[in-house]
Amino acid sequence: MLITFPHMGTFNIVAKALFGGVGLQVLEPPPMTRKTLELGVKYSPETACLPFKITLGSFLQSLSLGADTIITCGGEGPCRLGYYAQVQKDILTELGYDFQLIAIEPKLREIWQVAKRLAGAGGWYKLYASLKTAGAKLTVVDELERRSWYYRPRAKEWGQVDNVRTEALAAIDAANDCSAIYEVMQRFQAKLENLPCRCDTSPLRIGLVGEIYCMLDSFSNHDIIKRLGQLGVEVYGTTLLSDYVRTHLSKKRGALKAYQKVVDLASPYLGHYIGGHGIKSIGYTVQLSQLGFDGIIQVFPFTCMPEVIAKNILSEVSSENHIPVLSLAFDEHTGTEGMVTRLEAFVDLLSYRKKKMK
Amino acid sequence: MAFRVGIPRGLLYYYYGEIWKRFFEQLGIEAVVSSATTKETIDKGNVIDEVCLPLKVYFGHVCELEEKVDFLFIPRLVSAAYGQYSCPKMMGLPDVVRANFTQAPPLLDMTVNLRKGKYDLYRAVVELGDRLGKKPLASLLAWRKANVFIAETIPEKRQEPAMGVTIGLVGHPYILNDREISQDISGKLAGIGVQVVKPESVTEKEANEAAKYLTKPIFWHYCSRLAGVALSLIYSRRVDGLIFVTSFACGPDSLVGEVVGWHARQNHLPMLMLALDEHSGDTGLVTRLEAFCDMLGRRKQLC
Repeated sequence: MLITFPHMGTFNIVAKALFGGVGLQVLEPPPMTRKTLELGVKYSPETACLPFKITLGSFLQSLSLGADTIITCGGEGPCRLGYYAQVQKDILTELGYDFQLIAIEPKLREIWQVAKRLAGAGGWYKLYASLKTAGAKLTVVDELERRSWYYRPRAKEWGQVDNVRTEALAAIDAANDCSAIYEVMQRFQAKLENLPCRCDTSPLRIGLVGEIYCMLDSFSNHDIIKRLGQLGVEVYGTTLLSDYVRTHLSKKRGALKAYQKVVDLASPYLGHYIGGHGIKSIGYTVQLSQLGFDGIIQVFPFTCMPEVIAKNILSEVSSENHIPVLSLAFDEHTGTEGMVTRLEAFVDLLSYRKKKMK
Repeated sequence: MAFRVGIPRGLLYYYYGEIWKRFFEQLGIEAVVSSATTKETIDKGNVIDEVCLPLKVYFGHVCELEEKVDFLFIPRLVSAAYGQYSCPKMMGLPDVVRANFTQAPPLLDMTVNLRKGKYDLYRAVVELGDRLGKKPLASLLAWRKANVFIAETIPEKRQEPAMGVTIGLVGHPYILNDREISQDISGKLAGIGVQVVKPESVTEKEANEAAKYLTKPIFWHYCSRLAGVALSLIYSRRVDGLIFVTSFACGPDSLVGEVVGWHARQNHLPMLMLALDEHSGDTGLVTRLEAFCDMLGRRKQLC
């Protein structure tokens, strides 16, 4: 049994720790390229959203490398993600691949069954230990991500921050137990702090709201976070994978409270959960405007239902809360240069606005 | 004081419009339904972007009613059946209307969520009556009467299979029953001379039965019904071909269409997928329909 999983940003580090830890053989999906996307687009329904196409392309590549089991997520709607697995399975089977697809549905019984299968590979203690390691890696990777948002616009050369980040990710990937992981984190944190900086600057602050895959996957969003950092902007991403896990999977009290606050802030504009991250996009826009952010960028896959609804409401939120919002939809036709031009124009506008308001 | 409540002729109107109208009538409130969709409706509704055509059309209807009525009836239908959802666009409907029509009259936007149980419907009915100054009992009674009347109307008789080509036409009623959105596909097919089997001719039971072919139940209520109808037509072999009509950028249909297509391919049944938007040309559509029907006719002769 050779397991593979969908690609999403730095999720591969966590997934490898989780499945590899229990003693399963894991095939890390190859890094995503233009080719992955082309493959996915070729076999996907035309108006399916970008994450569907990209993950399908990634599965095709992994399967042709010899993987025979795909572990992915299920769902109960109303976002399309909940029905991805079944459709992707049909498409791949029709293409002649022989494999097994395990979709983890958000039901206690189903999760239990998957856990039992995983434990079967190496015992319950190993499952517990690998869950713990994976959890630690998730926390540390996201913490590193947050630091790099902060340091990129402040470092003398932004490239150095990315060098440290790449190094750190490799070290986290290689670390085997929790204490080693935290030790790596501390080492690289110190490294980031000691980078030569331009301490006099007070960079523009832009909040990133929208759909989680487009926000976290640097291939899908054409490295938007890094590019904004290059333009001297401090980015704040509102949904990291660890936030999502804390709110929706492990349901930590603090995270739930924070989530409820965002929902409350959104309620004058959007009175009900509409699936995906639609309500959070609106709530965070209100919250970040109150925190004095200079602008908001909403990222989502083209035709994403919850975000399209949010987008059509955000214009009102933007004018009432006096915060500029830029909505960017991504699909296979998105060009990097076009996106960068729009980002530059938006950042120019924000810095001009900031000067005027002083 | 006499109220006028506006009901936009779009989306959910095609499922529940008759019940709503009778409900308001029972309460002694005048219900104004916007007129049939025209090109102008589409133009007016084009204020919001990236959404599907039926939603744009819905906005066009809101535009038409905006100044004529005291209330706009735009319920937030979160779920119409146990364990299912409607669609994100319907769940956010009143909010998008509010955000884009600052001059709109007050909305009657009660939430209906039957995901956890069917009693929420009655709560919503009472809330609706309350907003209009009616007593709970009066509202519930009116709702019951409106529903009873609908149950009494007799369903259409099933047509006997004809000699020529029979085509199953599936799609959401708010697309197929709106002549402007669907560009009168069923009329065009009749003009070509093929027999059309409409979704209404498949019973609820048949649709549910056929939905068992799905590996996982579909959680969008209206799409689940749609897929059931399509699968029933595919597996009962009542039709020679299937036309799946959807609108561009419809999220659920992008996946459901693929699922239905997969089952059609497994059963060697030709299927034509038509995605409509406001740019669809009339002539192009006729050509595609003719080509598809010709192909089916030839296939039938060969078999």
